[in-house]
Amino acid sequence: MNSLDPRVERLPKVGEEGKINPKAPLDQFGTYEVFVEPKPGKPFQHEGAVHAPNLEMAYVLAKETFTRRFTCSSLYVCDTRDVFVSPMTEGEQSAYDLIDGTSIGEGKSEFEIYHLVKRGKQHIHAGSVNASDAKGAMLQAKATLNNGKLVYNIWTIQKDKIRFTSEEEKEYWITLPEKKFRDASDYKGGDKLKKFLEQKA
Amino acid sequence: MTLALKELLYKMADDQLILGHRNSEWTGMGPLLEEDIAFSSMAQDKIGQSLALYTILQALGEQDPDTVAFTRNANQFHNCQLVELPNQEYDFSLIRHFLFDTAEALRFEMLTNSSYEPLAQLAKKIRGELRYHTLHANTWIKQLGSATPESTERLQKSLDYAMPFALGIFEPSPNEQELITTGIFEGEVALQKKWLAKVESVISQTKLTLPDLKSIKPELGGRKGIHTDHLQPLLDEMSEVFKIDPTAEW
Amino acid sequence: MYGGGNTFEGIKTDSIASEDPILLAAFEARIERGEKIEPTDWMPQLYRKQLIRMIEQHAHSEIIGALPEGTWITRAPGFKRKMSLMAKVQDEVGHAQLLYSAAETLGKPREKMIEDLINGKSKYSNIFNYPTFTWADCCFISWLVDAGAIVNQLANAKGSYGPYCRALDRICAEESFHLKYGHHCVIYLASGTAVQKQMFQEALNRWWPPMMHFFGPADKISAHTEVLMRWKVKMGTNDEMRNQFLDMYVPKIWELGFTIPDPNLKKDTETGKWNYTEPDWEEFKRVINGDGPCNKERLEVRRIAEERGKWVRDALKTSRQAYVSPLA
Repeated sequence: MNSLDPRVERLPKVGEEGKINPKAPLDQFGTYEVFVEPKPGKPFQHEGAVHAPNLEMAYVLAKETFTRRFTCSSLYVCDTRDVFVSPMTEGEQSAYDLIDGTSIGEGKSEFEIYHLVKRGKQHIHAGSVNASDAKGAMLQAKATLNNGKLVYNIWTIQKDKIRFTSEEEKEYWITLPEKKFRDASDYKGGDKLKKFLEQKA
Repeated sequence: MTLALKELLYKMADDQLILGHRNSEWTGMGPLLEEDIAFSSMAQDKIGQSLALYTILQALGEQDPDTVAFTRNANQFHNCQLVELPNQEYDFSLIRHFLFDTAEALRFEMLTNSSYEPLAQLAKKIRGELRYHTLHANTWIKQLGSATPESTERLQKSLDYAMPFALGIFEPSPNEQELITTGIFEGEVALQKKWLAKVESVISQTKLTLPDLKSIKPELGGRKGIHTDHLQPLLDEMSEVFKIDPTAEW
Repeated sequence: MYGGGNTFEGIKTDSIASEDPILLAAFEARIERGEKIEPTDWMPQLYRKQLIRMIEQHAHSEIIGALPEGTWITRAPGFKRKMSLMAKVQDEVGHAQLLYSAAETLGKPREKMIEDLINGKSKYSNIFNYPTFTWADCCFISWLVDAGAIVNQLANAKGSYGPYCRALDRICAEESFHLKYGHHCVIYLASGTAVQKQMFQEALNRWWPPMMHFFGPADKISAHTEVLMRWKVKMGTNDEMRNQFLDMYVPKIWELGFTIPDPNLKKDTETGKWNYTEPDWEEFKRVINGDGPCNKERLEVRRIAEERGKWVRDALKTSRQAYVSPLA
């Protein structure tokens, strides 16, 4: 290719120009949901999804996709299919009102519970419960984490389906606050501009 | 002592700078969006680490990092030849990333105990970055190294091709004994031993075979300024804008 | 980064007539109240279709937008610029990642969108079909194209679809770095040597016409834009966005001593609107339809990247029984 980009100049010839083999409809990796703890003591928050072939790769790929700025103290991922989702409500109705049944009490699996408290915002970690399955976890959450504040949507995730960050791995983010070149605050052109304008005047 | 120390700092900095540039070429062209982002971050880390090392060199009386990094010619660079090779396909870029970063992480781990304080401090500081780089490399190699016949064959071919160059990382330097005696760095022989053990342990979890090191002739010379034909064009590219107007600030 | 001028499909508004009137009324009331629509909510087919189209075009613009600046990634002068440009181009890829996810919540798989990009079925922002001859062209994009994108994206972030808004909130935060970085680069060129000043002036001359195209042709208010605005899919007219951009950035360009290559560019102090020479919309159409200086290269690079990455993706793919789209 005759390009201004030396990298493009070095690209090998592949396939036929302008032709891409059509992909089968589900010909892609699955999605994994990514949750981030920005600082110790702050709740985990849902940040988005990555495409990955498996849970461990999802973790590896999520890190730079979602935590390359400011601060981060921990990160975890799980398969989208392992998130159990309540109905979505609006106005004055809480999603917990639509969770029917009474809790049969604690089970032996642990679950992470996420709440959506405002439409358009992120799901935020509300707490953990013990239950025997996802439905039971919703009911447990209703009994223990439903503090009367409006919740429009609830997610539960069984803990052993999650790839967590281990204690030793927390050092991944040690130098993150120093990577100022990714922040607007590192580009102060004011002094140079002022000097330039004074000279021009 | 300063000469030996500078040699060590230069070769480390040059390695990181050149590989950082090579890896940055993948930005926007990676095999998967998420991997594109991850690989770019690690390239940024490498450039950042080289800057930190050139800054230490500046404190030892060398010129400022921009001058050192962007105005020397190929024969003044001390990087191993492994890092200057063109990217080729992703299999080679990944294998190089694995072989090099394994060595780099171990080197810095050894340097956390260095008697030369600035280096020990830097090593401690960037430990987390390097931990991620090796997690990334090991995970990919383990996955692709035993996935499909195509992926294992590609990785095997790249491994066989890269190995002589990888051994060039540990090219001995004339003043190294001084570093060992003064406790600055344990030396390339010790590093290579640790490296080999680590590389073997990852490769053994895949369908790949490590080439017999006794039958390989290491590609040496990089540490002495002898390079492949690929380095000078890369350096020309890096300095292209600077050269338009050497008096300018960009 | 992304401009207006996204092409909405010709809409038969009567398709709305076939929607359930009760659900439709509840949907419209929710938007009217300023509440966001989330993926599991009921939504009219037309809303879903147009959103996919818009978010997909936006995502394509990000991934293709990584290429013109990427042209200078190995040549950025010095450590500071090198690190910044790497991070900036990386962000564009990251934005594409976020936006494809947002579009996926509406049910179109990412790979399908990428396929449609490469085979030319879906569009991306026209401006990335122009070449970056010099470092100054790269600086122009970082500063001013991103500035234009921010004008659009800030408006769209107030739209009605939750996942798109969340993606845009992240993106706008990152774009503020791009804008500051780009301005910083241009300040250095403006206050630098004669060679540097001339370099940027020439880049400005080249990029001004595509920059004016960036926001798209003047809108004709039609039934279809009206419904998209009511549903908060489209958040402002192309002319409004263009005017806002001119208002914010023309003074900053003049301040640096550069000349904008349009003798008619002047703010009407009474109306607050900018007057300018009408952009060449024939060229805009020609380029959008594939006949720009770099269309072929941009898609070719994307295609080669896909093809070269295929063995990596194929090696690790496991069959999934059903497609699930990401949650939010």
